Amino acid sequence: MKLTNKDLIKLYGDMWLVRLFEARVQDLFASGVLPGFIHLGLGQEACMVGTCFNLEDGDIIGATHREHGVLLMRGVSANAIMAELYGKVTGTCKGKGGSMHTCGLKEGALGNNAILGPGQAIINGFAYAHKFRNNKKVAVTMFGDGASNRGEFHEGLNFASVWNLPTIYIINNNGYAISVPVSKQQKIQDLSARAAGYGIPGVSIDGNDVLTVLETTAEAVKRAREGGGPSLIEFKTYRWRGHFEGDPTPYRTNSELEDWMENRDPIKNFGKDLLEREVLTEKEMKEIIAEQQAIVDAAQKFAEESEWPPESEIYTDVYYNDEGGAQ
Amino acid sequence: MLGIIANPSSGKDIRRLVAQGTVFDNMEKVNIIQRILSVLNYAGVKEICYMQDSYQIVDRAVTYLERNFKINLRIKELEIKYRYEQNDSLLAASSLLQMGASCIVTLGGDGTNRVVAKGCGDTPLIPLSTGTNNVFPVMLEGSVAGFAAAVADIDKKHEYLKLKQKKRLNIYKNGVLVDIALIDAVITEERFIGSRALWEPETIKEIFVTVAKPDSIGMSAIAGSIYPISEDEQKGLYVWLGNNGNVETNAAIAPGLIQNIKIEGYSEIGLEQKVNIKTKTGIVALDGEREITFGKNDKVVIGLSNDGPKVVDVGGTLVAAAKEGYFKGRWR
Repeated sequence: MKLTNKDLIKLYGDMWLVRLFEARVQDLFASGVLPGFIHLGLGQEACMVGTCFNLEDGDIIGATHREHGVLLMRGVSANAIMAELYGKVTGTCKGKGGSMHTCGLKEGALGNNAILGPGQAIINGFAYAHKFRNNKKVAVTMFGDGASNRGEFHEGLNFASVWNLPTIYIINNNGYAISVPVSKQQKIQDLSARAAGYGIPGVSIDGNDVLTVLETTAEAVKRAREGGGPSLIEFKTYRWRGHFEGDPTPYRTNSELEDWMENRDPIKNFGKDLLEREVLTEKEMKEIIAEQQAIVDAAQKFAEESEWPPESEIYTDVYYNDEGGAQ
Repeated sequence: MLGIIANPSSGKDIRRLVAQGTVFDNMEKVNIIQRILSVLNYAGVKEICYMQDSYQIVDRAVTYLERNFKINLRIKELEIKYRYEQNDSLLAASSLLQMGASCIVTLGGDGTNRVVAKGCGDTPLIPLSTGTNNVFPVMLEGSVAGFAAAVADIDKKHEYLKLKQKKRLNIYKNGVLVDIALIDAVITEERFIGSRALWEPETIKEIFVTVAKPDSIGMSAIAGSIYPISEDEQKGLYVWLGNNGNVETNAAIAPGLIQNIKIEGYSEIGLEQKVNIKTKTGIVALDGEREITFGKNDKVVIGLSNDGPKVVDVGGTLVAAAKEGYFKGRWR
């Protein structure tokens, strides 16, 4: 696949943006600043960045509560996401959704669905709409290894397969469903094998190599746009943090975590490649990181300075109004 | 003692998406191992050592045989430093060589066997195909492979055992031998290793093959479609691609993916001959996987030799054994 240096530099910067944003959220939650429940995607940056690189205006992607980065990559502003996490009125959902339910429909980000499983059925509604309109757009659903054991996943795959929908199913297999290791969830090792049961292609790849992620999702997206139907892709990855912030992770060893952080860090490894291929210098890398850090700093400042929702907002956006949207 | 190396990752890459490959599920690999072990047990093979893997293919087979067929095997996991990645196969093969294994049964594709070949020395291989582009390994029913493995283990004097010495390609970077390939070494203008597989012919610049087989898929099929060379011929083929030549050919470069390929020229490579590659920057793909990056300051040379791994000729071995009455009478 032909990528320009500009593309490669964008991928590098984007992964840093996701990481720095998540790291800031981690700190703010630990300090008691952020309310609610936080699940972080640290370590899984390549999955989000590589996938979203292939999406265009009009495409839609739905993910889980771990993918703040997907919203960032779809163009939802860091300011609005951070404000949502703070519960401020300037947030993506006016501060009512928090980390678990941020979204950016206008930008093609269906949002974070904290109910795992149903997202894999819901996405087909968007895919069917694309197909009905014949607009060559795709619908992507990104979820975890645990969700792939839910009934809705299988119903969704079957439906997408039978109707030949432009749906791309992406499993971020990060090794654990909350605390249950993959080996105790299912008897198969590669979750892509499930695709065979629905007559669609399935691929398992290294989810910590952003170029592998990008190349693979590019092919699935191209296939879906051209009417080839759905695909199932499994990214083998690892979450650096617990299932939720505060999870003491007694179910895994420190050496396992250290191995992934030291040897399979998607940003460090990609950065090494970029240096070797003379795409970037170390100085340029530091500048890119500083640029992304500034975006995160600004987002925090924006959120801190934003207003809390007024009391009058409590009962708005609760029910759907037949005459024109939520009320 | 007999060795088993089964790759849990073979048969799953991007060629399921860009071509018409199907997932080779690991439970099928477990089943193949079950059939092999059943025959080995029946034949009285006493000692089997295996490489552990992330899916525990051999462990699952052993458990199934114990539980459902009351077959109890003395089987031992190799003591190597496992990282559950490609290099495990190299360490396992080296370990089996040091332990004097009679043969190694491998489950994988060309890529798996390339890694095993780097460590197995003269230990004969029985390579079973569970990969995507399979030129080196063979499609073989597990029980038949088990019989061949049993003969290899019991026939210490090699009265029946028929072996074939394979060729290999040696890849030198700046004067140092850095890797080998059993079937093909391909020079591509891709800049990064990424998803490893090759499926876009416009990025392929030069192809080196030990065998040029029109009855295969992948790079060997491209070479084989214009100038076939068999396993037994002591030569290979070098093909350079581009729009300036007058040869066009058509070949399946992945399962069901047929491409028109424009070729500028080709020539035989003799044993011990070395060829300087023409491409200035890119990646060398070995047996179907992008592996070695090189830049404008690197000198990459590829040579052919006949010191590849020894492979058991399963058909020839079993016929020879049968003619000598090996299978007659009561075995147990």
